[in-house]
Order: sequence, then C-alpha cells, then structure tokens
Amino acid sequence: MHNPFFLKDVAGFLGGYYTFLAIMNAVAALLLWRKKGQTGWSLVWTVFAGAMMILASMALSGAESLVPALPEAARSFVNRLSGPVAYTVGTTALFVILFVFRKFFVQPMVAWSVLNIALLLMGLAMANEDFAAIVMKPDNVPIVGLVFLLAFFTWVATKQAVVNDERIAQGLPPMEKLDDEKVLVWPDLVYTELICMVAVSAFLLVWAIFLPAPLEEPASSVKTPNPSKAPWYFLGLQEMLVYFDPWYAGVVLPSLVVFGLMAMPYLDFNKKGNGYYSIEERKFSYLVYQFGFFELWITLIILGTFLRGPNWNFFGPFEHWTPYKVEVLNNVDLNQMFWVNLLDRPLPRAPQGAGTLAQIGYILLREAPGLIALGVYLVVLPPLLAVTVFRGFFAKMGFIRYMIMANLMLLMLSLPIKMILRWTFNLKYILSIPEFSLNF
Amino acid sequence: MAEKKKMSVAEILAAARAADGKGAAANPAAPEPVAEEPAAAGAPAEQPAAKPKPAAAGAGGRPSVADILAMARAKKESGESAAATPAAPKPPAKPAAKAAAAKPAAPKDGPKTGVQRDTASILAAARAGAKPGPVSKAEAPARPAPRPKPPVAGEKPVAVVPPRPAKPEPQAKKGGDEEDRRGFLQIALGTAMATGFTALSVTGGLFTLGLARFLFPNVLAEPPSKFKVGFKDAFPAGKVETKYVPQYGVWVVNGDFNGLQQIYALKTVCTHLGCTPSWLEAEQKFKCPCHGSGFYKDGINFEGPAPRPLERYAIRIADDGQLEIDKSRAFQEELGQWADPDSFVTV
Repeated sequence: MHNPFFLKDVAGFLGGYYTFLAIMNAVAALLLWRKKGQTGWSLVWTVFAGAMMILASMALSGAESLVPALPEAARSFVNRLSGPVAYTVGTTALFVILFVFRKFFVQPMVAWSVLNIALLLMGLAMANEDFAAIVMKPDNVPIVGLVFLLAFFTWVATKQAVVNDERIAQGLPPMEKLDDEKVLVWPDLVYTELICMVAVSAFLLVWAIFLPAPLEEPASSVKTPNPSKAPWYFLGLQEMLVYFDPWYAGVVLPSLVVFGLMAMPYLDFNKKGNGYYSIEERKFSYLVYQFGFFELWITLIILGTFLRGPNWNFFGPFEHWTPYKVEVLNNVDLNQMFWVNLLDRPLPRAPQGAGTLAQIGYILLREAPGLIALGVYLVVLPPLLAVTVFRGFFAKMGFIRYMIMANLMLLMLSLPIKMILRWTFNLKYILSIPEFSLNF
Repeated sequence: MAEKKKMSVAEILAAARAADGKGAAANPAAPEPVAEEPAAAGAPAEQPAAKPKPAAAGAGGRPSVADILAMARAKKESGESAAATPAAPKPPAKPAAKAAAAKPAAPKDGPKTGVQRDTASILAAARAGAKPGPVSKAEAPARPAPRPKPPVAGEKPVAVVPPRPAKPEPQAKKGGDEEDRRGFLQIALGTAMATGFTALSVTGGLFTLGLARFLFPNVLAEPPSKFKVGFKDAFPAGKVETKYVPQYGVWVVNGDFNGLQQIYALKTVCTHLGCTPSWLEAEQKFKCPCHGSGFYKDGINFEGPAPRPLERYAIRIADDGQLEIDKSRAFQEELGQWADPDSFVTV
C-alpha cells in the first residue's frame, strides 16, 4: 500500500515543478517591471519566484522532513469534507461566486494570483502518495490540463465580455467592432492551421513517448476492471448513469444534449451579443449554457476522473483507493416509498395468472405516484412557468418554441434534481417499471 | 449585382496581367480607343474616378495598383465578352477582333513584356480598399457607392447584354470515320460499364451471402451452455462460489431466498449496464465497479442504479447427481420467474 520510495521518486518531478513556477513568475515580474505603474506587483512575483526556488531545492532533497507538503490536518479535513454532495454544492457555489464577482476575477493580477495558488496547492498536494497516484496517472494528466485550459479560456472570454459590458453601458461599441478587420481563409487561416497542426502533432508525439498509454490485460467479458472508467470525455455520462437507468442517461439525455445544442439558434430570440462577447446582454442564455457545460459536464468529468474509485465509491483527494471501502447506498424506489413506507400497504401486484391488460393496470396503479409526479413536472410545469417566470419569454417565443425550450430545460434540470433526491431521500427511481425496462 | 460580388483573386490577377500587357505591348501599336473603348462602353455607369484611370494606364507606362483594381472591376462589369459588344462605333470588325485578340493574349504576354507584379502586392492593394478586408453582406450597402451616375442626365445608361458567342461546331461531324469510331467506343464503353456493374452486383451478392454464412460458424469455440459444477454438498449454506466466473460467467450460490434455502446460479451481468460485479465476501454483497450498483447474496438489487435483480440461470440435478447449469435459459425475478422450479435446486 505504502511505497517507501515514493518521496524519492516524486522529488525530481516536484523540484522541476517548483522551478517552473519560479521561472514563470520571474518572467511575469520582468514583464510587469517594464510596464509602468506595476512595480508593486512585480516585486510580489519576484518574492514569490524566490520562494518557489526555495521550495524547489527543498523538494529536490527528497527527505520526508523537507519536501513541502500539506499538513496532515489539512489533508484529513479535505477528505472529511469531500463527498458527492459537498462536491456538487461546492462547485455550484464556486460557479455562482465566479459569476457574481466576475468583475473582480477578470483582473489579470487576481487571475494570476489564483493560478499561482492553485499550482502551489497542487504541488503541495502532490507530495501525498494517493493524490499523486491519481493526478499523475497517464490517462488523467489530460484532465489536469483540461482544468487549467478551461479556466484560462473561460477567463479570457469573461474578461472580454466584462470589458464589452462596461463599454456598452457607456454607450460605446464593443471591442470586437473596433478592429473589425477580416482576413482571408487562404492563406491566413490555412497557414495558421497548418502551423498548429505541425506543432500539436509534435507535442503529441513527445507526450506519447514520455507518458505511455497504460495498456491493460486483454479484455474479457467476465472481468471488469475495478474501477471501470469510461474514456475521460464520457465520465460525465458515467456519473449521470449512477442516477438514472441506462436508456435515459445513456441514450435519451445525450441525444437531448445534442438536439438541444442544435436547437439553440432557433430558440434564441435575443438579437444582441451577435459577434462579440457579452454577459449582461444575454444573461439567461449565458447562465443556462454555463450551468449545463460546467456543472453538468465538466465538473462531472472531474468528479469521475479524480474522485471516483473502486466500486465507483467516492474517495477524497487524499484517500487511498481501496476496493473495501464500505458506503451505505441503499436506495428505494418511489413506489416503495409511497405504498409501503407511507401507506403501509404492500405494493399493488397482479394476482397470479392475470391477463396482460390487468398486469399493465396493476403496474400503472403501482407507479401512479411516479406518473403523477412526472406528469406535473413535464406537462403542468411548462404552462405554469409560461404564465409566471417565463411570461416574457413565452410572449416573445411563441407556443412551440417556448414549449421546446421549457422541456429541454426541465429535462436538463432532471439530472441535478435526481441527484439531490438521491442524496436526500435515497430515491432510486421515480418511475420503476423493470417489467418493460422503463425506469426514470 | 455583379459589382457587389467580390472579385476572386484569380480575376484580380488576370486583370493586373492584362493591364500590364496592354500598357507595355498594346499601347504603342494600337490606337487608344481600340484598346479601351469596348471596356468603357460596356460599363457606361462606371464611376468617373475610375474611368480616366484605365485610360491613363493604357496610355502610360505601368498602371498603378489602384488602376489595376479599377480596371478589374470595369472588366468584370463589361463582362468577359466585352469584345463582342456591338455598340462600339469603330470600324466594324476590327475593334472586336483586336480586343478579343488582346484579351486572351494579354495574360500570356503580361509576364514576358510587362513588369511582373507579384501576388502579394496585388492582394495587399485589394485589401487596402475603402475598408480593409472582404465585405460582409451586411456592410455592402453601407459602403460608399462606388459608381455614382454620370452627370449626363439625358441618356439613361442602357444595360447592354452582350450576346453569347456562338458555340464552335463540334468538329466530329466532319468525317464519317470518326463518327463510327466514337460510336464503337461508346458501345464498348457501355458494355464495359454494364459488365462492370453486373460483376459488382454479383460479387456484392456473393459477399453478402458469405457474410451471412459467417454468422453460423461450423465450430463454436465457446464453452457449452450446459455444464456440471459438482455435487450439492460442495456448496455449503451461505457460500458464493466464484470459481466458475472466469470460464462460465456464473456464481453458484447456496443462499436463502424468501425463507427457502436454495442453490441457484446467478448470471454475472449487472442489470444496469452489463459490467461484471465482484463478490465482496466481507460485505456479503455483489458490487458493480462501473456505477456502484449493489446486490444482496440472493441477487436482489439494493443500492446504486441497478433497476432489477440479477438474473438466474436454469439449474437442475443431473442424472449422475451433479448440479447442471443451463445458460441458455435465464429467469428474471421481476417477471416472477424465480418461482419456476427450474431456476433453483432446493437444498
């Protein structure tokens, strides 16, 4: 379980890692020094770079007392805090904070500080064997890259949107309209693409050589690796499958994602924000999209990659992945809750030898609470929303477009709702008809 | 309409070369109107600014980039068949012929006689217009109208539609021999095509048949669906036998279901998405590594997303007293099939 040589193995990497941080900050400090009025920040990053150099030399020693690491108390605190509920609530809170205080976070120095803190914490955490085993696993390295790349690109877009929003508020045209030069596809774009293609191919070659793909034993239909993980881009789907039946989470919801994305331009009635970044002018679209993308796709990928271990149990970042972890996950269907727990009666069950129609009748009776709940959710709720929250939307979109939009949104929200119901009430399925493989 | 259309790079280049060629070669020899008039006549609505420039270019040495562009536009206006415009008040055949000769010849002459213009400078000039870059649809109307109407109010410019040049007669009609040969070729080619397609469909059909045959192999390398697992006393109460999983994909369990002690064979396929759960002896449950579904020892699902219990295979006591499992039949609890006496052996 415990590798006595772990720290020695990781020392070289950590030394390089901290040296990289130091060089990165030294360059930043130099660039800031040349700019006027940024001397204070320049000094801050110079000091930070020096500190990183000290950490690098400590890490290179490889001695247990010297390699910088998170204290045991912090690690166990993080482990104790982490769980699917805390994770989802935490990421949602983070999403809200980032959105509300976006004007603060788009400042370059704030973003740079956040990046440095994140990288430093990651370096400190990597001195832990369990954390390093997951983060430095060759197939998880791209996900680490994804986290930082995604943060960067979101930051760039948000920054431009914030600048544009301020300009629009002052009555100025957005930045994109100032420098409106268009370039030719050939040669400008095609050359750029060619160069990118060559560079990325070279990068991938080097990557493939230094981080070989983990090959496993030949596949067997009666042996499933534990944990068994989908390719990283499907880990969001795999997480959805924990809460739903395969036909819904594996077929219906992904198709709805694709169709929903295709339908977006036709549902959108907001003419603003065309060709430039803006948040204020398209708050609804922005929030819905970012919620679907970040909350329901990216964070689930990260959850599936780093925090789901053997038996698909949830493991804290510093927890050892043992297949013997016991988690109580007893789940109950809604029919059970209603008939047995609430009314204290056995489930309605067709008598032996009943005809098909009678059996279907009994099934419908058994599933009545689920059917009513689903009916209210998908049939009653959209018109109700149309006359209350989405009154303006309904007026602008018309009946058909509004109904499509409302249903797509409700089906998207069915995932977080189902997750919350699972955590709070241990609800397995709202609609449970295993006779016809129909569960929801 | 035509002027709104963007010029392709090829058109710009052709125009530039033509201008070079004209400026260098055609100028001293040809009288000016001959070279210039057809183009100008074809585009009477040409902007006044642009009009003198081509003339100057034609007259003088190298045309400037702006001239080239203007000319290119004018050329585009007047159409490629400007040569055929009948409106030219010149000696009847001459200008047309000359212009026609000059035009196709010019691109060839250009590189030799005129000063070579490189693509980059022409493209750069094309971009450095009133607004840099190509024009989007939305912007096009907002552009300063490049062609104000000529101040002469009397005549309305007539859009001259040049007649199409007559198609040259196909020469094949001349000789009878060639006709025969072509006909022969056609027949041969047609026959070849027919042969080819026939061969293709026959091959395709045979291939499909072979593929269908492939689905029914002579020998199946998989273990038989019926197999024996030993005598009853090899399975003490409460035991989950996992040694048949790698080969047969089955757990043999001596367990308690609804108060009855039974030996049954559970299929090792999770009812959620088909992974193979593992038996956790310490926790006395089957646990799926894919999505965390859990099943009791009797196969009933109790945690995670699995919607129904594990399935059972048929099991019976064979004539020699051994337990025999038949994988060709499965029993599902939710359909009430576990009551079937074939799905278990009473201990």
